[in-house]
Amino acid sequence: MEKTISIDTVYVPSEEVVARQVGGEFVLVPISAGVGDFEDAVFTLNEEGKAIWDRMDGKRTLREIALDLGTEYDTPIEEIQRDVIGFTEELFRRRILHQIPRQE
Amino acid sequence: MNKDFISVQPISSFNAWEAMRKRRRLFSFTLELSARCNLNCRHCYLNVPENDLAAQDAELSFQEITALVDESSSLGALWALVTGGEPLLRHDFFDIYMYLKRKGMVISVFTNATLFTKEHVHLFTRYPPRDLDITVYGATKDTYERITRKSGSFEAFKEGIALLLENNIKFNLKAMALRSNIQELPQITALCREYSKAPFRFDPFLHLRFDRDHLRNQEIRNERLTPQEIGTLETLDSTRHTALKKECRRLQAQYPQERDCDHLFRCGTGRGSLAIGYDGWCRMCLSLCHPECIFDLRNHSLTDVWEGCIPQALTKRVQNQALLAQCRNCTFRYLCSWCPAQSYLEAGELDSLIPYLCDAAGKRSQSIMKDIPLPVSL
Ligand code: SF4
Ligand code: SF4
Repeated sequence: MEKTISIDTVYVPSEEVVARQVGGEFVLVPISAGVGDFEDAVFTLNEEGKAIWDRMDGKRTLREIALDLGTEYDTPIEEIQRDVIGFTEELFRRRILHQIPRQE
Repeated sequence: MNKDFISVQPISSFNAWEAMRKRRRLFSFTLELSARCNLNCRHCYLNVPENDLAAQDAELSFQEITALVDESSSLGALWALVTGGEPLLRHDFFDIYMYLKRKGMVISVFTNATLFTKEHVHLFTRYPPRDLDITVYGATKDTYERITRKSGSFEAFKEGIALLLENNIKFNLKAMALRSNIQELPQITALCREYSKAPFRFDPFLHLRFDRDHLRNQEIRNERLTPQEIGTLETLDSTRHTALKKECRRLQAQYPQERDCDHLFRCGTGRGSLAIGYDGWCRMCLSLCHPECIFDLRNHSLTDVWEGCIPQALTKRVQNQALLAQCRNCTFRYLCSWCPAQSYLEAGELDSLIPYLCDAAGKRSQSIMKDIPLPVSL
C-alpha cells in the first residue's frame, strides 16, 4: 500500500467507512476488515479534518480542495496543500480513502 | 488550521462517552432480536422454544427494526449489542446485521454458537463484529446438555467454535457459574482460556424470568450458587477480585455525596443506553421489566421514549423507608448487586430488600474488603 499521494489526483471515501456525527464529534467508523487500524477503532476528525473530508466528493483533486480551503482559512496555500496531502496520506494508508481516475 | 486532523480511538475509550453520559445522550443500545432459542437452558430468564409462533409473531419486523436503528442513529448511538434468545435464529439476521453496519454502528453479538454456518463465517470475516460473545455452559457433553436440555447441542457448540477458529474469527468466551456446572468450572475456565485470549469472565448472578413462570423460576433458583460459593469463586479469580476492589474504592469515594439521595435509579440506567425488546417494548436496561419502566415502541417513537418517558421514570424515588435506612448504614453497600430490576423480578416491587443479594454482598465483602480468602468448599 506504499504509494505517494499526488496533489492532482482525486481521492474519495471508501464505501466501507461510515461518516457520522456522534455526541458532537465527527466520527469515521470502518465497517469491514482491513479498513482502519484495528476492529476496535473509530476515527474522529477535527473541524479542519472534516472540512477536507467534506470536499472529497469524487470530483475535486487535492489541489482544488486546497484552493477552496484557501478561501476559508487565513493560511498560506502551500501550507494548506501540505496539510491536505498529509491528511490524505493518513487515511489512504488505512484504506479509508481510495484514489479514483479523474473524470473529465 | 488546527493540525490534529485525525485521532484514532479504541471504541472503549472513545472520548465522547464521558461527555455523552454527563449530558445524557444515547450512545449504545441492546437489540434483542428474539425470545426464541434453539436451546432450553435451565437458568435462562427469557427463552421460549424456537418454534413458538406467538413469540415469533410478536417479534419486531425487519422494517420496524430498521426504523428503530435509524432513530437510534439520529439520537447518536454508536454501539449496538445484538442478543436474544438466540439472535441467529432470525432468518433475516444477515440483513439486520448489515443494516447496523451500514448505519455505522459498532456491533457486539451474543450467541450460543450452535448455529454457525459458513455464511456466518463469511459475514464475520468480511464485516467483523467488535465482539462475538459466546457463553460456555459446560466442558463436557453431560454437563453442557444437562444445562441446555438439548441433545446434540454440545457437538453443535464445538463445531461452531471450530468453525470460528479455522477461519481466525475472534471471539470471547464467558461462562455462567451454575449449580449444574460448578464441579466443572476449572475445566470450563481452562477451555475458555485455551480458545480465547480475552480475560475469562463468569457470571454467578441469575435473575428470574420476565414471564414470572413459577416452575422456570424455581429451576433458576435451584441453579443459583450459595453466597458462600460466589464469594469463594470471586476470591479465586484474581482479575475479578482486583476489579471488584477497584470498584469498591471508587464507590467508597463517591458515597459521601450520595448518602442522602433517595433516587431509585442510581446505577446509570437510562443515561446512555436502552434496550429494545424483541416484542417492541423498550426497557431502560435489559433486566428492567417493571410496567412503569417499559415503553411500547409500536405506539411511541424511540425519540419520545428517550427524551420523555425515560427521564420521567428516572425521577422515581425509593418508597420503602426500611430499604433506605438499611442500605444507608450497610457496610456491604459497595459490593452489593442489588438493583431495582432484580428487586422487581424477585419481589414484584422496585424497592424491596432481597436477602439473597444481601447475603452475597456480605460474603463478597468478607473476601474483598478484608482480603482474607475463604476456604474452598466446592
Ligand atoms: S442459549 Fe442463551 S438464550 Fe438460549 S436458552 Fe440458553 S441462556 Fe437462554
Ligand atoms: S447488601 Fe442489602 S442492605 Fe446492604 S446495600 Fe445491599 S441491599 Fe442494601
